Amino acid sequence: MKRALWWLPAVLLVSCSAEPRPRPPGVLFVSVEQQSAWVRNFNPIFTGAGARWPTRAGVYECMELFIPSTGQWTPWLATAHAWSEDRRTLRFTLREGVRWSDGKPFTAEDVAFTFKLLQKHPALDAGGAWKFLEDVRAEGEHAVVFQFSRVYVPGFAELAHQPLVPRHVWEHVEDPVTFTNPEPVGTGPFTEVRVFRNQVYELGRNPYYWQPGKPAVSALRFLAFPTNDQANLALVEGEVDWAGNFVPAVDRTFVAKDPKHHARWFPLFGSTVFLYPNTTRPPLNDVRVRKALSMALDRERLVDIAMYGYTRPADATALNDSYTAWRDEEAAKGAWVRHDEEAAKRLMDEAGLKLGPDGVRRMPDGQPLELEIEVVGGWSDWVRAGQVLARDLRKLGVQAHLKTYEFGAWYARLQKGEFQLSIAWSLDGPTPYTFYKWMLSPRTVRPVGEVAAANWHRFGDAEAEALLTRFEAESSPEQQKVLMAGVQRRFSELAPAIPLFPNPSWGEANSQRFTGFPSAENPYARLSPHAEPDSLLVLTALAPREN
Amino acid sequence: MRYVLRRLGFYLLAAWASLTLNFVIPRLAPGDPASAMFARFEGRVQPEAMAALRAAFGFTDAPLHVQYLTYLKHLLTGDLGLSYAYYPSRVSEVIGTGLVWTLGLAGFAVIFSFALGSLLGVLAAWNRGGWLDSAVAPALAFLGAFPYFWLAMLALYLFGFGLGWFPLRHAYSHDLEPGMTFTFAADVARHAVLPAASIVVATLGGWMLSMRNTMVTTLGTDVLRLAHAKGLPPRQVMFRYAARNALLPNVTGFGMALGFVLSGSLLTEIVFSYPGTGYLLILAVRNQDYPLMQGLFLVITLAVLAANFAVDLLCLWLDPRTRAHA
Repeated sequence: MKRALWWLPAVLLVSCSAEPRPRPPGVLFVSVEQQSAWVRNFNPIFTGAGARWPTRAGVYECMELFIPSTGQWTPWLATAHAWSEDRRTLRFTLREGVRWSDGKPFTAEDVAFTFKLLQKHPALDAGGAWKFLEDVRAEGEHAVVFQFSRVYVPGFAELAHQPLVPRHVWEHVEDPVTFTNPEPVGTGPFTEVRVFRNQVYELGRNPYYWQPGKPAVSALRFLAFPTNDQANLALVEGEVDWAGNFVPAVDRTFVAKDPKHHARWFPLFGSTVFLYPNTTRPPLNDVRVRKALSMALDRERLVDIAMYGYTRPADATALNDSYTAWRDEEAAKGAWVRHDEEAAKRLMDEAGLKLGPDGVRRMPDGQPLELEIEVVGGWSDWVRAGQVLARDLRKLGVQAHLKTYEFGAWYARLQKGEFQLSIAWSLDGPTPYTFYKWMLSPRTVRPVGEVAAANWHRFGDAEAEALLTRFEAESSPEQQKVLMAGVQRRFSELAPAIPLFPNPSWGEANSQRFTGFPSAENPYARLSPHAEPDSLLVLTALAPREN
Repeated sequence: MRYVLRRLGFYLLAAWASLTLNFVIPRLAPGDPASAMFARFEGRVQPEAMAALRAAFGFTDAPLHVQYLTYLKHLLTGDLGLSYAYYPSRVSEVIGTGLVWTLGLAGFAVIFSFALGSLLGVLAAWNRGGWLDSAVAPALAFLGAFPYFWLAMLALYLFGFGLGWFPLRHAYSHDLEPGMTFTFAADVARHAVLPAASIVVATLGGWMLSMRNTMVTTLGTDVLRLAHAKGLPPRQVMFRYAARNALLPNVTGFGMALGFVLSGSLLTEIVFSYPGTGYLLILAVRNQDYPLMQGLFLVITLAVLAANFAVDLLCLWLDPRTRAHA
């Protein structure tokens, strides 16, 4: 008997620990970042830093928020802004009564200091604010004046979205670029680091938060999940209240488990995915060929197979749904994004790429037309998309092959323009200006072999450039729309790149313990916690459910 | 003593060679860290930031030999630099978040698996043709043929998700305060059962089989016949004479296995969200985080070399022949 008992302590040890304990009420469990262990970093002003998710919009706040789901700007730490007559001066009026989480008042000095910090350390200036700013100064306690070096209306968004830091803390920081800010002092709703361990951290309320009675959530808690699978499992099991994961077959695996509380909202506010043609290489420099390739694609099938039907085919403006108010109906109707094999074949014939006897089209010099589609090997949705695209293009008589690369190699080839066709994302901003600038502006074109941050397809159009330049100086919304409609028509006419589908913005909520999540019926912000800075609106709107 | 010193010299040389490779290999890979980081934002950061990012990471266009010398100098002073992926946290701090857990989990699993496997091998060879030899050994070899992360997923699904006996993830419950308490220790043990078991089950067969096979050869030697003839008790013959001699190849293998503890349990850690260094390694490679990669490889290299040195010393004790050479 004695011999058999040696294992007993081990069994006791394992079996005696309690089953999952109930989660503390009022504590919101959020899953955004996927990491195996948390590293303590709450630096809000260096974007390259791996700061924890709530830092930029949660611990710290900005002056105004842009909400893509409503297309509106919401005043936040500033209550109003006004341009001067010549649009060279922008004046923000700051909210009164705002305090930092250490009790000190938030003033215009703090705002001016933050921007001076960006000027002093260019690495902090991710939005390139000092490319168009000349000076910033506080006017009394509650007004900040930005002096522009040139007329640049879209710069407003950069200034309004900048997270603001307290002068009395950061003026003592030796190097704000490498500062990990372990004990943050901010104006946001959640500022107190209550727990920080490798697997979990918790942020408590800011005792001096400026919105009375808010936040109603007592704390945010973050568990470390290294992969999407683990994060999804926790979501389905009800261990997470708010998440921004990609969930395959979400309606069956998550929503159906508890339709009353489990909700998902995947609005198409993500960046549009493109098949980029390298327009420096024949025959892709011919707009007819680009349009023919585009018309050969069956995008309905593509979104079903590659994206689980979570999105729709892109229209001819390639804009996602956050720009609905900007969309020009005429440009959107462009036929070149609709599946039409016959028209595609006609266009190819017109471009002089005639079908050879073996069913493969020939280049003017007699070479068979071969095109390689490049994707990242591990990105399964895009690999599936690439397979569908290659099949559709082969029907057109193009020898299309899918070629997968490791990420670094793929991205280097894309940036240097050393590809034929490549699947990649696009850039976004509060207006379609950023999107089209990197699609059409000759200013963004880099020579092949040189690294380009975007405009990988290397296309520039003087007419679109003129419209975009006028847009930079235009502050009347009606005029802005007219100019942007012109840009969209140029895009639709020139087809510089082949739009596939807009990306959904992933957001899931479990309202068993909390109420007030945004939804398609109540779109006050995006549900996706990845969406900064709208997440501030959600964090302050959520409230524990009364039992 | 001279033998030990010679081995030590060899290991120093090996360390230098691997540190040099550690420097060269990441730099041969295509792409650069600022682009990789920029790409992670998928268009949410303006391209203007790219130049600024490069500046912040302090990329130098210094010639490679200058970079190499700085690298060696920093290593010698124990300065592993700042991680790119977790910028601006120190590499030592980032590795510190996971090292203890990996060492604990995988170290325990490998030692346990080695000890149990070797013991089973001894017994199987001693009772050749018995149930241990004819049923358990092939069964374990069969299990060992499965990739261990697949076993881990199966275990997670069956015992964690399906039956709910064990937690699904992490090294301890998030609502417990880590400390030297019984509750916390029990919680850690509970969380370690599935990941450790999946490593043990996958490796047990290998240890058992190799131990059994060398043991069978050893049993046929004259030494053993003499021991039997002397009338020594069978248990003493089995462990003191046969097992001690047969253990040598297994011990050598053990040294290597110990070294792989730090890198090899990577997939198990990912399946169970175990906060170890395995996931860090993947992340470092994916983000071209050279400092973190180099830091991890440094730790792994040193661990492999240290484990092998320890095994050399162990062999010295187990096998008198090596002592004669020394």
